[in-house]
Amino acid sequence: MDPTVTRVLAEASVKIALFFGVVLTVIAYMTWVERRVSAWIQDRRGPNRVGPFGLLQPLADGIKFLFKEAITPPHVYRPVYLLAPALIFIPALVTFSVVPIGPTMSLFGRRIPLLIADVDNGILIILAFASMGVYGVALAGWSSNNKYSLMGGLRSSAQLISYELAMGIAIVGVLMATGSLRLTDIVTHQITNGWNALWQLPGFLIFVTAAFAETNRLPFDLPEAETELVAGYHTEYSGMRFSMFYMAEYANMITASALATTLYLGGYHVPGLAALGLPENAAAIVQVLAFCLKVAMFLFVFVWVRWTLPRFRYDQLMNLGWKGLLPIALAHVLWVSFLVLGGRA
Amino acid sequence: MVVRLLLGLIFVLVAFAVVRALAPARAALAGIVLGAGAVVLVALNRQAITSVEFWAGLCGFAAILSALLIVIHPNPMVSVLFLIVNLFSVALFYLILNAQFLAAIQVIVYAGAIMVLFLFVVMLLNLKAEEGLRGGGGPQRYGAVVLGGLFAGLMFHALRNRGPRPYFEPGSFDSGFGTARELGRLLFTRYLFAFEAASLLLIAAMIGAVILAKRRIR
Repeated sequence: MDPTVTRVLAEASVKIALFFGVVLTVIAYMTWVERRVSAWIQDRRGPNRVGPFGLLQPLADGIKFLFKEAITPPHVYRPVYLLAPALIFIPALVTFSVVPIGPTMSLFGRRIPLLIADVDNGILIILAFASMGVYGVALAGWSSNNKYSLMGGLRSSAQLISYELAMGIAIVGVLMATGSLRLTDIVTHQITNGWNALWQLPGFLIFVTAAFAETNRLPFDLPEAETELVAGYHTEYSGMRFSMFYMAEYANMITASALATTLYLGGYHVPGLAALGLPENAAAIVQVLAFCLKVAMFLFVFVWVRWTLPRFRYDQLMNLGWKGLLPIALAHVLWVSFLVLGGRA
Repeated sequence: MVVRLLLGLIFVLVAFAVVRALAPARAALAGIVLGAGAVVLVALNRQAITSVEFWAGLCGFAAILSALLIVIHPNPMVSVLFLIVNLFSVALFYLILNAQFLAAIQVIVYAGAIMVLFLFVVMLLNLKAEEGLRGGGGPQRYGAVVLGGLFAGLMFHALRNRGPRPYFEPGSFDSGFGTARELGRLLFTRYLFAFEAASLLLIAAMIGAVILAKRRIR
């Protein structure tokens, strides 16, 4: 094969393996964080027996899920029932491939950008795969052949479609300021002109709210509201397939946090780092760590909100989406366009 | 030309008889057999894995196979899923043709938004698996066979008589033409009238839908 092609393929494979491994590890440890933080908020101890501080708990949970019996109820539509968990999980992971976690590094005499795919339409790819997430939940609900599951699936589709709209319009503000759909351009624009969250606060808040709805987290977890729907769309799932839904939820959280960081909090930018005059690779490592810190902050907020707020009622959810967030997002776009015309960006 | 059209007609008649004998119980099997056949064809074609033709062939295969399964599969819900696969493979075609913006929009609008609507409709109508090909049909079936046969013959004729030109000419190729920037520039300069007229049409349809739906509530 052509040596250039081989090199590009090898580089991409290494990056994909690294990203995949890191994201999966963070997913596993988010379950531990969730349980420890919820215990802390509720003045309990939480899992602290397996390993120091309960740090080996995710490992034990994983083994438990693998060895549990995976029951397939006789009334489900089998092909779709088996496919649905994967359909939720895959879009969440694919979206991560366009997020830049750092600037370029020089390794082995080559300059390596710290993201998997620097595509021209990064934002659109993200929106495309976010809209794919609906299918997993809707199909899990339908194929379970159970009215609670179906209700959960329907609710989630309505919720995702409503909030996707507000999210997309909020992102338009960032796009107008940057003049590019490429995520690396959005980050470099923020490095020179200041973080977007500072002057696009309404857009930032709408994006974060919509991200909670897109990930089906409290206060937007109506698709699996246990007091009304048993467990919603994953009522009929057990064993590893059940845990796939949870892994997908955490993967979605990580991706949403990474996006909020990239779009509004300057991505990997550390203010004042350029003044220190560090060598390129050291600066890159500091910036990657800063990115991880910002993402971790968002993940903590996700957990914090879940154990603080009660669940919305369905009509409240729809009213907030269509009569609250959408008009604010539209007004925000108008405001940002005036600022951009006036030479702010 | 006429001989080839007749050949196509005979081919589709035979294919129709085969599908009728197999479907619906063996619809999945028919799909797998077709798929295996196409994979063998692609492999035999001996295109380099990095060539445009290889990937275009793979996407074309996925598009045709999923389109066939939409029609063959007895469960309407699964047909909707294969329609999504079909729209995805068309988006991949756009990517291969360097129209990245169009590919992303195809996934967002068609595979994302419109197909969710289809999914809802099929889900809420609660359609049971069809009786099979025996149930439907009528006179339009014979018309479909004749027209399909003529179309197959036409395709065969076109493939046999294609010119020596390559699929694309590297010299005249502009790598920026599929980007959002170029497309936006064209939409707001050369095709401005058509673009604005289409937006007006969409608004009218939206208002009409709201008025029709709310007529009884008032």
